[in-house]
Amino acid sequence: MSAADWALALRLARRELRGGLRGFRVLVAAIALGVAAIAAVGSVGGSIKSALQHDGRLLLGGDVEVQLVQRPPSEGEAAWLRDVGAAHSQVAEMRAMATAPDGDDARAMVELKAVDGFYPLLGSVELQGEGAAEPLSALLQERLGVWGAIAEPALLTKLGLTTGDRIRVGTATFDIRGVIAHEPDRVASVVSFGPRLLIASDALPATGLVQPGSLVRWKTRLLLPSATTPAAFRQAATEAFPEAGWQIRSTTDAAPGVERFVDRLTLFLGFAGAATLLIGGLGVAGAVGTYLERKIPTIATLKCLGATGGLVSRAYLVQVLAISTVGIAIGLLLGALLPLLALPALSALLPVSVESDLAAGPFLQAAALGLLTALTFALWPLGRARAVPAASLFRQAAVLAPARIGAGDLAATGGCALALAALCIFTTEDRGFAAWFVAGALLTLLVLRAAALGVSALCRNLPSPRSPAFRLAIRGLVRPGAPTASVMMSLGAGLTLLVAVALIDGSIRGQIDQRLPQQVPAFFFIDIQDDQAADFDRLIASDPGVTDFRRVPSLRGRIVAIKDVPVESAVVAPESAWAIRGDRALTYAAAPPEDARITGGAWWPPDYDGPPLVSFDAGLAQGFGVGIGDRLTLNVLGRELPVQIASLREIEWRAVPFDFALILSPGTLAGAPHTHIAAVYAPAEAEDRLERAVTGRFENVTAIRTREALRAVEGLLRRIGWGARAAAVVTVVAGVLVLAGAMAADHRRRRRESVIFKVLGAGTARIASIYAIEYGLLGAVTAVVAALLGTAVAWAVVTKLMALDWVANPGLTAGTAALAIALTLAVGFAGTLHLLRQKAAPLLRND
Amino acid sequence: MAKDCAVARTLKPHPLAMPSARLPTSLSPLHTAPALALREVHLSLQSTIGSVHILRGIDLDVEVGETIGVVGPSGSGKTSLLMVIAGLEQATRGTVSAAGMDITRLSENRLAHFRREHVGIVFQNFHLIPTMTAIENVALPMELAGDRDAFSRAEAALVAVGLSHRLHHFPSQLSGGEQQRVALARAFAPEPTLLLADEPTGNLDGETGDEVINLLFDLHRRRRTTLLLITHDPALADRCERIVELKDGLIVGDRKVPGRRPGAQAAL
Repeated sequence: MSAADWALALRLARRELRGGLRGFRVLVAAIALGVAAIAAVGSVGGSIKSALQHDGRLLLGGDVEVQLVQRPPSEGEAAWLRDVGAAHSQVAEMRAMATAPDGDDARAMVELKAVDGFYPLLGSVELQGEGAAEPLSALLQERLGVWGAIAEPALLTKLGLTTGDRIRVGTATFDIRGVIAHEPDRVASVVSFGPRLLIASDALPATGLVQPGSLVRWKTRLLLPSATTPAAFRQAATEAFPEAGWQIRSTTDAAPGVERFVDRLTLFLGFAGAATLLIGGLGVAGAVGTYLERKIPTIATLKCLGATGGLVSRAYLVQVLAISTVGIAIGLLLGALLPLLALPALSALLPVSVESDLAAGPFLQAAALGLLTALTFALWPLGRARAVPAASLFRQAAVLAPARIGAGDLAATGGCALALAALCIFTTEDRGFAAWFVAGALLTLLVLRAAALGVSALCRNLPSPRSPAFRLAIRGLVRPGAPTASVMMSLGAGLTLLVAVALIDGSIRGQIDQRLPQQVPAFFFIDIQDDQAADFDRLIASDPGVTDFRRVPSLRGRIVAIKDVPVESAVVAPESAWAIRGDRALTYAAAPPEDARITGGAWWPPDYDGPPLVSFDAGLAQGFGVGIGDRLTLNVLGRELPVQIASLREIEWRAVPFDFALILSPGTLAGAPHTHIAAVYAPAEAEDRLERAVTGRFENVTAIRTREALRAVEGLLRRIGWGARAAAVVTVVAGVLVLAGAMAADHRRRRRESVIFKVLGAGTARIASIYAIEYGLLGAVTAVVAALLGTAVAWAVVTKLMALDWVANPGLTAGTAALAIALTLAVGFAGTLHLLRQKAAPLLRND
Repeated sequence: MAKDCAVARTLKPHPLAMPSARLPTSLSPLHTAPALALREVHLSLQSTIGSVHILRGIDLDVEVGETIGVVGPSGSGKTSLLMVIAGLEQATRGTVSAAGMDITRLSENRLAHFRREHVGIVFQNFHLIPTMTAIENVALPMELAGDRDAFSRAEAALVAVGLSHRLHHFPSQLSGGEQQRVALARAFAPEPTLLLADEPTGNLDGETGDEVINLLFDLHRRRRTTLLLITHDPALADRCERIVELKDGLIVGDRKVPGRRPGAQAAL
């Protein structure tokens, strides 16, 4: 294949394209839509992550942060940190109950933050209203025996307080001296459980909340000297205090939770974009096939004049590439514009303000995916064009010859499909998910194709209905060139995704809306001191509303080594990585929990007093690659504690939400400072009374209302659900575009058909009814297949992947069916209506 | 006669007689061979009702520069014969030699090369490419053959058929007669050794048809190209030197037309 051959192919293509984009509008729109979706999602995700990185120092509150749980740094550790840092600041964070001392006994859980005089090292706390001009340290200091506090507006609203009022936390009372407008290092977790109350570190002891084992996170932020890198600091800190058990974060992981959330969301939406592109690919195949059918005389003429099949194929490949490039360019432009609209709305939900950074990566990826999709789906019909016989000039050939595609074209199509799959998989961090997506997409298309063939076979073999309209409509679905297969595949794929997304969303929310509130405790009470435990139990037991409760000792600890390999170097399955990310709740027990399902090993004897043992979550054990007898090393309160796995438990987190991944043998931890955590089951109407009774009696105890937390999670899921559905709707739009293309391709045949119907005496209403039945049947079978397939996908994801209960939604399935029928009728009639009004004579004269 | 033809090319410069592209050695005709030789040619095609036997044993020899009119009723196999000769259909049995080559078993690509070097075809429906101008349509076969002078030769050919004012018009901007003249220019411009015409006046009115036919024979006379003309029109067939009659896939008549001899057509 010489350069001259390509030059000639280019010249021929240029001449052929003089007709403009006629016949290719669907191809351009479908490619543009998919490319725009992928580019926009990638660009928005990239912009958010880039903003998180850019503002990492602000979010972290320094160059590095050293976090300890349940204990402040020791004198030696604190001195070392002071020496190493160019500047340092210490804050303590915990959950606590706040009440309005002069009010009506209202109370709220707050995220309490106690800061020293150096806080914040970077940025500034912005206040609104009164006190906004005063320095923070002045606002928080003690005046006439009363400490100051500043609060987020939500807290004041909830307790009916305002600036100047007092608020009580634990055993201390504070003056509210300001309202927080912006806190520079407030990394809102994806779901926030309580509003912020900010006080001075020196005021913290007065609250009485810091007890042995209280769940307090002590964070020391440092600005490092310019010669010290975070990595060097981390190494020095680990060498100086190897058993400190501190968690060191730098600016690159300032907001890991938010970053993970953005990653997951980008991943899902990106693949929704890829699904859109895939459906667009069906449009490419349809548009190229239709175009080439129109070009059969030209192709045959070229061959008569001595053009080889290869030259013909190249000339049309160049055209497809040129037209696809137009679609890709439009898609990239839209992909660059969409983030400008989306980011201002998203910024309100994020800890940083995000601006579109237009990094090249997502756009290159989207363009490459667009190009490969166009090639994958165009090469097959192009291969058929190569096979068009020159003799077709002398014999009428209405459609491209049934695919006798050559081995070369088959290999090229396969190669492009593989490259497309590889690009999807290898440009994604979660390759497992990407591989599942590719396999799922392929399987979906194959099932839809098989369903289309099945429907065609069924229509052919059905006994002829008596009604002529029905008979003609059913025959219309199976005649040569009918759009049945392409409509079922394109619209069907879009609807399948929509049904699957909606059903998955519905099942998760159904779980949270309906089932979890019945299963979960009304409260978790945390920070119950050892000497309060017995009184707490009596108080709870005496409340008539309490249906059940369970209290266990609780401490925090980090897994620092797996089989003596530091977790930083250990190989851990992605689904188990959460367990080594930070500190985890631990407990100890002499006997197994009542509902424990021990799947390996054995529980220790009730009087066991040997080296520390652990009963471990079987799922995590699999993810860690450990079994009975293997050793985990925990860091608890600055001490490294090797524990041997004695038993494995299968924990159903959704059924038993109050369980521990790590339950240690008693004795080891019993002597360590710790608190208790209690789960209390009670109906919603008893919640207020219980909260007042417990937190009124034990001022250091914090009540976490589970149903409130579930509502917060539900609210977030609703927003995510709408985003996911919007993405799925885009795929349906792509399906409708392809549907429109397929219908348009059928237009010429339908025009002749309607004229012949008229000549034979059919009225407009009769013809319209034939088409209505045909489109309705097509929409209905597409809907049934998509609903079945979407439900199967959703069921597999919900019950197998997420291990949740299945919540069926017949209304949604019926709605999808109605949508599919309405879409095929609307799109079908949009292209046909004017045909019904045309007169027969002009067509007959010109035919 | 081959010698005559070579002399004609050398001594009679004509707008249509631009220098040929150099022929690949493997496809160069043997100038001593007949223009066309068909031996016991059969053609069967598959259709929805089964195999249809279209040509049932055709034997035909055509001399270089000869004009043959092929006549016969619809379905007699005229167009199929043309397609077999052009390498557009492959004979089921028998051999086809054209321009000195056995084309019976050539591959699709080799047949395409054969057509671009040796065959010009004029269709009843013109078959111009609608997105190309007149000059681009005429230049196309020469472009396919890699001829660098394709456009100047195409322009000369269009001038020769009286369309110098229509070079850059698209087919839709031309009348039927003009379109067929463009098709004639396209067929003759590459200087083929064999010209095949399938009902070239079938879509034209009488007057325009006559003009086109005069032009066709005029071009043939000047170039001494072997011409095979399929027609229903006995008067048109009579303008050829020889008439071959087909019926049910067999040659049932083959006669010389009295008074016709090579080069005589121009007078008509």
